[in-house]
Amino acid sequence: MHRLIYIEEEVADHPRTKAICDRFPKATKIYCKYYGEVFNRKGQNFRLQKQQPALILARKHKRHVLNAPDGYGIGGRHNYYFSHMLNCVYDCRYCFLQGMYRSANYVIFVNYEDFQQAIIETAAQHPNEETWFFSGYDCDSLAYEPVTDFTQEFLPTFAQLPNAYLELRTKSLQIRTLLKSEPIKNCVVAYSFTPDEISKALEHGVPSVEKRIEAMIKLQQHGWRLGLRFDPMIYQDGFEENYKNLFEQIFSRLPAECIHSVSLGTFRTPKAFHQNMVNLYPKEKLFAGRFDENRGMITYQKELEVKMTNFCYKQLMQYIPQSLFFACTPPE
Amino acid sequence: MINIITALQCEARPLIEYYKLRGNARHSAFRCYQNDEIQLTISGIGKLAAATATTYLAASNPGGTSCAWLNLGIAGHAKTSIGKPMLAHKIIDNASERQWFPGMVMPITCDSEVLTTVDKPEKTYRKATMVDMEASGFYAAASRFQSCELIHSLKIISDNQQYTSEQITEKTTLAMINDNITTIDSIIQPLLELSSELNTIEQPPPEMYDFMAQWHFTTYQQNELRHLLRRWHALSLSNKPSHHDFSRHTTSKTVLIAIKVFLDQQPVSFNNKACQ
Repeated sequence: MHRLIYIEEEVADHPRTKAICDRFPKATKIYCKYYGEVFNRKGQNFRLQKQQPALILARKHKRHVLNAPDGYGIGGRHNYYFSHMLNCVYDCRYCFLQGMYRSANYVIFVNYEDFQQAIIETAAQHPNEETWFFSGYDCDSLAYEPVTDFTQEFLPTFAQLPNAYLELRTKSLQIRTLLKSEPIKNCVVAYSFTPDEISKALEHGVPSVEKRIEAMIKLQQHGWRLGLRFDPMIYQDGFEENYKNLFEQIFSRLPAECIHSVSLGTFRTPKAFHQNMVNLYPKEKLFAGRFDENRGMITYQKELEVKMTNFCYKQLMQYIPQSLFFACTPPE
Repeated sequence: MINIITALQCEARPLIEYYKLRGNARHSAFRCYQNDEIQLTISGIGKLAAATATTYLAASNPGGTSCAWLNLGIAGHAKTSIGKPMLAHKIIDNASERQWFPGMVMPITCDSEVLTTVDKPEKTYRKATMVDMEASGFYAAASRFQSCELIHSLKIISDNQQYTSEQITEKTTLAMINDNITTIDSIIQPLLELSSELNTIEQPPPEMYDFMAQWHFTTYQQNELRHLLRRWHALSLSNKPSHHDFSRHTTSKTVLIAIKVFLDQQPVSFNNKACQ
């Protein structure tokens, strides 16, 4: 429940602003000229704000659709991402957002129409070619659905664009809208996982691995295409057993036939973000292991990356055909 | 620790009595009072005075600990009833139109409102906000030293369209602050907790001082040492870091390398509860 809602003066009368505010009738509304005054200013503590995040309602003026980073794709030639929301309701200690943003408040850009138009125009630039749009880069795609109505609003756009593919990347159980909707072929609901022990230690507020698998089963039974994302893979002593068990746990319940794609990537963050994360959580075990710097990225040491990737790849190949597998690590 | 800035002695006096603050003769530029957790400074009227007192207090305590900041005082409001406490959720400097947004992460036990800081007493009550003469100066200065979640301005409404500022006296001000001392304390206590939380996070490992007594570390090396010793604790190793284990090393550089090599070889396991 949000106690404070910051509202850009420009979107004060937007119907989506009003609808979202109606969900939080007791929240104090504070008006600002530009959301960056609250979200991007210096002198904020992400860790303290995460205890009681405020909501910020704003308009995104430009760059609604952006090129996806290297390694983010799942086989498509054209990869883009868009963010109707900045920040996540979950608190995963490995998440780069806590190192990238100064504020833990949630920003929702209420001008969905502009995002939708940009998606239509971008897809039109690549006629007859698969063009992927990733929605879970700066937030969890589904976790805030009851407030944002994101899938309800965006699925119809993709339903009319046969060459545009939407990835909803999530750890959330908020699948009610998807279960009420007619599945569309060009949408993949991709669930992120780490092994249970690691999830319990690092993924604060995230539904258990088992609950996420149950949500996937419901979506599969309803006809949605599913993805599996093991990104980031997190190292701990005995990771082989952890990931072996995780894959068994998932594929014993979800047959490979219902899986659209599986991707794998080791933990990595830009150096500046990593430093911010360590400063926020200096006593966090995740950051206490050995890391190397490689071209501005903080990564596990190369041998360990290779060992983890090879092990998990071999394990996955017991369950899925090679054609479904995609490596997330950017090319050297 | 919390630093409190009030403009007037009569705004400070109820706090001095309630928290049993003692005068600190070390300070000559401003009247300052303190106990183990609270430092209070009386700035005088106006945003420049408030900014100066805030900076003075911050500069007097360069110890590196995270302090919360509170500007406490009286304010006018066109319609709000006299004696009502309100926390500022947005502070506007009327002259420059600059704005600040205090971060509201702690429990709030009173209403909140926009607060406009003016340069001269405002007698028309045309603004739909609280009006004072210090908050923007205080906030601009304090935000140089602390993050916005730990800087707040709490005002007691002292005058409105019916009960104008000419009727305010020392006695009524003192009474208004006294009447709201419980609410004031309910803002101060969570701010103290937040500052304590930040200090715990930022605190260097205790063994650091033993290492620094044994070898000379440059400032850069001290940061590296702090980081390595934190890693050591985070890994939940059975042995605690001790400078005795590295006594064969003659330079700080080789000590740091030795600690790093040791830590890089240690297993990481999340099966024990991860440290925060």
